[in-house]
Amino acid sequence: MRGYVKKFPPCRGACPAHVNVQAYVCLIQMGKFREAVEVIRRDLPFPAICGRVCFSPCEDACSRINIDQSVAIRSLKRLVADIEREQGRVAVKPVPKKYDEKVAIIGAGPAGLAAAYELAKLGYPVTVFERMPELGGMMRYCIPDYRLEKFVVKNEIDYILGLGVEVKTGVEFGKDITVDSLKRDGYKAIFIAIGAQLSAKLNIPGEDLEGVIHAVDFLRSLALGKRLNIGETVAVIGGGNTAIDAARTAKRLGAKRVMILYRRSREEMPAHPWEVEMAEKDGVKFYFLVAPKRIIGEGGRVRAVECLRMRLSEPDETGRRRPIPIPFTEHQYEVDMVIPAIGQVVEISCLPPEIIGKNGLIEADPVTLETKIPGVFAGGDAVTGPASIIEAVGAGKRAALSIHRYLRGEAIEEERIEETTWVKDWSLLEKKERRYESPVEKPHLSFEEVRAYLERVQRAARFEAFRCLGCGPCAECLAGVDLCVKDKAIVDESKCVGCNLCVEICPFGAIVKNESGVAQVNEEICKGCGTCAARCPKEAITLENISTDKILSALSNALVVRVV
Amino acid sequence: MEAGLRIICFICDWAFPEWSIETPPNVSVIQVKCIGRLDPIIILEAFARGVDGVIVVGCKWPDCHFIDGSLYGERTIRLLKKIMALTGLETERLRLEMVSPIENRSLSSIVEKFIDDIKDFGPLFKGKEADKELLFNLQAAEQAVTWSRLRMLSGRERKLTEKVNVYGERISQEEYDRLIEEALEEEYIRSKIYLITKGKPASVEEISRRIGVDSFLVLQHIVTLRRKGLLGVDRIEGYTPLYKALEVG
Repeated sequence: MRGYVKKFPPCRGACPAHVNVQAYVCLIQMGKFREAVEVIRRDLPFPAICGRVCFSPCEDACSRINIDQSVAIRSLKRLVADIEREQGRVAVKPVPKKYDEKVAIIGAGPAGLAAAYELAKLGYPVTVFERMPELGGMMRYCIPDYRLEKFVVKNEIDYILGLGVEVKTGVEFGKDITVDSLKRDGYKAIFIAIGAQLSAKLNIPGEDLEGVIHAVDFLRSLALGKRLNIGETVAVIGGGNTAIDAARTAKRLGAKRVMILYRRSREEMPAHPWEVEMAEKDGVKFYFLVAPKRIIGEGGRVRAVECLRMRLSEPDETGRRRPIPIPFTEHQYEVDMVIPAIGQVVEISCLPPEIIGKNGLIEADPVTLETKIPGVFAGGDAVTGPASIIEAVGAGKRAALSIHRYLRGEAIEEERIEETTWVKDWSLLEKKERRYESPVEKPHLSFEEVRAYLERVQRAARFEAFRCLGCGPCAECLAGVDLCVKDKAIVDESKCVGCNLCVEICPFGAIVKNESGVAQVNEEICKGCGTCAARCPKEAITLENISTDKILSALSNALVVRVV
Repeated sequence: MEAGLRIICFICDWAFPEWSIETPPNVSVIQVKCIGRLDPIIILEAFARGVDGVIVVGCKWPDCHFIDGSLYGERTIRLLKKIMALTGLETERLRLEMVSPIENRSLSSIVEKFIDDIKDFGPLFKGKEADKELLFNLQAAEQAVTWSRLRMLSGRERKLTEKVNVYGERISQEEYDRLIEEALEEEYIRSKIYLITKGKPASVEEISRRIGVDSFLVLQHIVTLRRKGLLGVDRIEGYTPLYKALEVG
């Protein structure tokens, strides 16, 4: 695949892990939910997790936006993954080990696990080292339960482990193991995916008072099952998704008033708009254009946050509007608890100093993820700074590919991705409302109701999937899935009279006439529906698998069976 | 006798998920990728082989996987109904059902209703003298739809009635229907002439008697067929020329 131009539909191109979106949406259209999950698993080991918490760049890229709304890709993914989990999936078989080179992966977060998954599929013996008692990293410890259930995470990780990945938990990198010790133990390649685990400091007076707990620590200690004293009034500082998670969790744990203090305005919030909406529904109050100046304590405990009002500057070269404090606008919010959530930093103390870059992150090649130490690769939040699950999975996949090539002694080259859409005429298409969104809360149903409910949901999901325009070529959509055989219209040039009929009726504009006036099928666009073949006046167009003869023979077969 | 009715159900691959395809035992389901794929010949051939009813299930627009493939399929069925009326077949024996994935309909309920509706017609071939005539008519219709005139006209139906032709003119649906019926009638007679003369050479008078069409009209069609290179003079008996169909290579 080196130096190869890949043609992807926009959704697949936008996804950092390049999940074959069009294929599984297509399979959902056909009602083949199980196969859809299989297709997702080729590129992404976490269908259910991403179905819940992915920020879905695929939906932002969806061509359907040109007409109405994007296809609800994430919700569909969640549904098929949930159906598979609840109906029980086929047991995973360990992949036989094809190679001898051992690979060590440090950190069992999305990046590490995705790399382990890819390498295990390739046939490498992989060992994952994790400091915490459970696998999953931020997915397990920092995403609250109401957004991502722990059993879902466990289920997905079990699948990866089922492929024959070895795991060592409770091992701390930098203390129990180091790069050198791993190399001594015979690991030929190391992938460092330790993530960004430490909270960024506010650097204001009063940060070490009792009642100030950083968002990541707050969420992590809850996930570990610790009991925390939640105050009556909680102030969360920051505007990212972690801030929203912390605020909503605090509200659920019984805080009466929860406020989010953010120094820019709503438009600049890094959190996803729907998350903000949900938080507002939960009763979280938002205060914009305020930044904390100091935290005021009383007897060692937090009493209030003193804030300054801000205004936004004109957009600078990078297009960002910087907040500028307005002098003499100090005001106080009376709170019992402050949760700063202004970002995370990488725990660089455990790393070998050679690979630490400038801004407190690991320095690695952006494409190959190689670090300065040969055989050591790094990816995920530790390289990019706090990002998302799907980006981490993308990094893990790239790292796995690089490690494979490194161990096989191949050169590492980049592949270029081209986005394609082949829809003939937007105006031809009718607007369709979104018809399926994953449920916010699962309904409580009796045994009899479940069947009807499931059927309704599945029908709605198929209906939603039908909104997909199928921008990519047909080969993209189901190639190699063994369910759809590539079948293209073939023009018999000796029969074609150049009447232009097929050119007019092809729904995808796949047929054009060449200079000599003979129709030519663009194989990348043709989806093999056979609309042209059924109408060609000279019967010059045929399709291999659904030729008229084949349908007729199916007909006679059916009739023969009837008679007997 | 309803168990004896043979029903063929052509369904679009995308219309129903595989797990929900259940039909009564006397119904055979044939999956075609899209109902746009259905060549009129296929359905006429099904009737010619003694199928008592054909039901076509496709996806309601705009849920067609192939954007407007099902709209073309719909036009084909409409054309077929016109042809069936000409051949003397009950048009009710062919039904098009458009479904949408959101609807709570099962394939078996659609098919059962169809069987229920055509039950009274009984089997297509009743084992009488009329069967031969019907079979001949069906074969003639099949011949007619393989010729390019009907295919050309029916394939362009959507373009002519919904957009404009190359001269920028747009014709109404009624106008189009009139055109296609005209063409259909002519082509149907021509294909009958063609089929008769395919067996053994026949004179105008014989053909006229056989298909019950005025001899002057038959001669007109023969002239057209000869111009198209489909018919030739076999020999002349006395003053009467006998015509014979030519193989088209």
